[in-house]
Amino acid sequence: MSTQPLLEVEDLHVTFRTASGPVHAVDGVSFSMAPGASLGVIGESGSGKSVTARALLRLFSITDDVQISGAVHFDGQDLLRIDERRLRHVRGGQIGMIFQDPLTSLNPLMAVGEQIAESLRLHRGMGRSEAASEAVELLARVGIADPDQRATELPSSFSGGMRQRVMISLAIACRPRLLIADEPTTALDVTVQAEILLLLDELRRSEGMALMLITHDFGVVAATCSDVQVMYAGKLVERASMAHLFERANHPYTEGLLRLVPRFENTHTGRLHPIPGQPPITGGGGSSCAFAPRCSHAIDRCRSEVPPEVAVGPEHLSACWLAADRAKDTTEAGRPWSRSP
Amino acid sequence: MTTTETTAKAPSRWPLRGLLLRRLRDGVIVLWLVVTVIFFLAHVVGNPALVFAPVDATDEHIAEIHRQFGLDRPVLERYWEYLVGLVRLDFGESTWQQRPAIDAVVEALPSTIILTVVGLGVAAVLGVIPGVVAGARARKPFDKVSNLASVTALSVPNFWLGLLLILMFGVQLGWLPTSGRFEATSIVLPAATLGIVHGGRIFQLVRSATFEEMSKPYVTVARSKGLTEWNILHRHVVRNTGVTTATIVGWEYVRMWGGAVFAIEYVFAWPGIGLLTIDAAHRQDFFVLQAAVIIAGAFVIFSNLLIDMGYQYIDRRITAS
Repeated sequence: MSTQPLLEVEDLHVTFRTASGPVHAVDGVSFSMAPGASLGVIGESGSGKSVTARALLRLFSITDDVQISGAVHFDGQDLLRIDERRLRHVRGGQIGMIFQDPLTSLNPLMAVGEQIAESLRLHRGMGRSEAASEAVELLARVGIADPDQRATELPSSFSGGMRQRVMISLAIACRPRLLIADEPTTALDVTVQAEILLLLDELRRSEGMALMLITHDFGVVAATCSDVQVMYAGKLVERASMAHLFERANHPYTEGLLRLVPRFENTHTGRLHPIPGQPPITGGGGSSCAFAPRCSHAIDRCRSEVPPEVAVGPEHLSACWLAADRAKDTTEAGRPWSRSP
Repeated sequence: MTTTETTAKAPSRWPLRGLLLRRLRDGVIVLWLVVTVIFFLAHVVGNPALVFAPVDATDEHIAEIHRQFGLDRPVLERYWEYLVGLVRLDFGESTWQQRPAIDAVVEALPSTIILTVVGLGVAAVLGVIPGVVAGARARKPFDKVSNLASVTALSVPNFWLGLLLILMFGVQLGWLPTSGRFEATSIVLPAATLGIVHGGRIFQLVRSATFEEMSKPYVTVARSKGLTEWNILHRHVVRNTGVTTATIVGWEYVRMWGGAVFAIEYVFAWPGIGLLTIDAAHRQDFFVLQAAVIIAGAFVIFSNLLIDMGYQYIDRRITAS
């Protein structure tokens, strides 16, 4: 914690007002990222991980009736409180974002080169021809062959993986200090997935930017990130370094997720062990641990009080009433997820 | 079957030929149905001899007129004769005007074309611009107000709206002529009526097309690049909905010919094809009535075809490239 954090999120709450009442998608999330760090945010669908990322840049659809509170400190300003003009400067210029579905993320009727050049002209003040040639450079940078020709083509002539490469080149066009990748490989083939992750990791190192990678796949995080945080029902339930989490997962939910990663070492158990039940639709607002109904370790206290975040190791936090006990337990027992339950 | 095979082949120089031929065939069939319906409707329901004869005419006198018009012959025979005439572009003689029916229609046609084109211009301005803004700012005050206005505009009966405008700007304020086509300003009120009614519909369709486009993921991506809402709207959304908007406006023009223009021309005594049709129906001037309906019908059918072809052409160019 010696360096000044690049991003500091404090007590972030995001509530959607819907016809069937308010939905607390993000419920008091706080975390920070150092410059150049790589952070994986992991959780099931509906855990609030994507909403957290979108809230940082206040990127919601015109149809969303959304309320955000808390603070997002980035580069000395609170992104939740600055005006639209300054926010637009941060969007694309300081923070780049990649989305899940590369098939719908690009304007289908605009040449990809033009879509990249648009950012360059906006944030880097380039002229038309300068931006066009820089767009070609960027396409080459993300590994697109024949970039001169490809820049003039429409997204429909690119494959899914290639479109995601285009998206990445678009997001890094203005050399942002933070790149947020929201499930960047979910819609792609496994082989393409690995290439994209490799590219992201390589770009992070060479450009010196921080990377926040949102995913539901531990494999993806393990390949790319040095730190992980696990989200459940709009809350952070555990955070640690990647290596630490794999060795000493503390929270029962993390443990459950890790048990779902197929591994060669435990194929002899024959099957995976899904977490019973479904995550709640509306997170937060309750007076219990949201995971308690699905947790095999739950005690009475879990159902009556929200657990605080407890330090269970160096820079390792877990929001569980049993965190301290389990920390001792896991140290002795080794990898909890490789045991048969 | 052969047509589908030709269209499935690699793009030729005329990629839409198969489709065009099929649509033309369908158009001719529809036109024949229109001719048949209007012919039998007129001849079964009406009797022009009764309208034409003086009030004190005797039965014999009426029978004489009947014979002169050829109405004493079997209806199927007359129908066949009429169809054969149509193929030679002979639309029959007007009983009232004592000249070929087609001449009366051709004379009225320019008035209707002028009125509908100006009316469409008004409708496009009233519908497209607010439609785009409302769609882009959905559920904001402007959207709510303009939506209410457009629903009112398109729900109000067009002739009633015409009468209302006559009362306000013609009778009360005395600013504008309300009847006929004698001055340059005569067109203002009928065109405004057409524009308001059709503009309401265009607004609804453009609004929802814009709204749908604004909800697409690429718009969020554009926003994440730091583009202003204005840039997103004109650089991305309006460009992408352009073809749809053009089609919507085109369809609305066709709809004018199918309905509102008749009532509006009648209310404002605008000497176009609508007024001609209604007058011909009153006088049971069958050949003029038929000629007017057939020409208007043909116009609608072939405008549809043009719009369809245009849309297909652009759409295929987009998806092909």
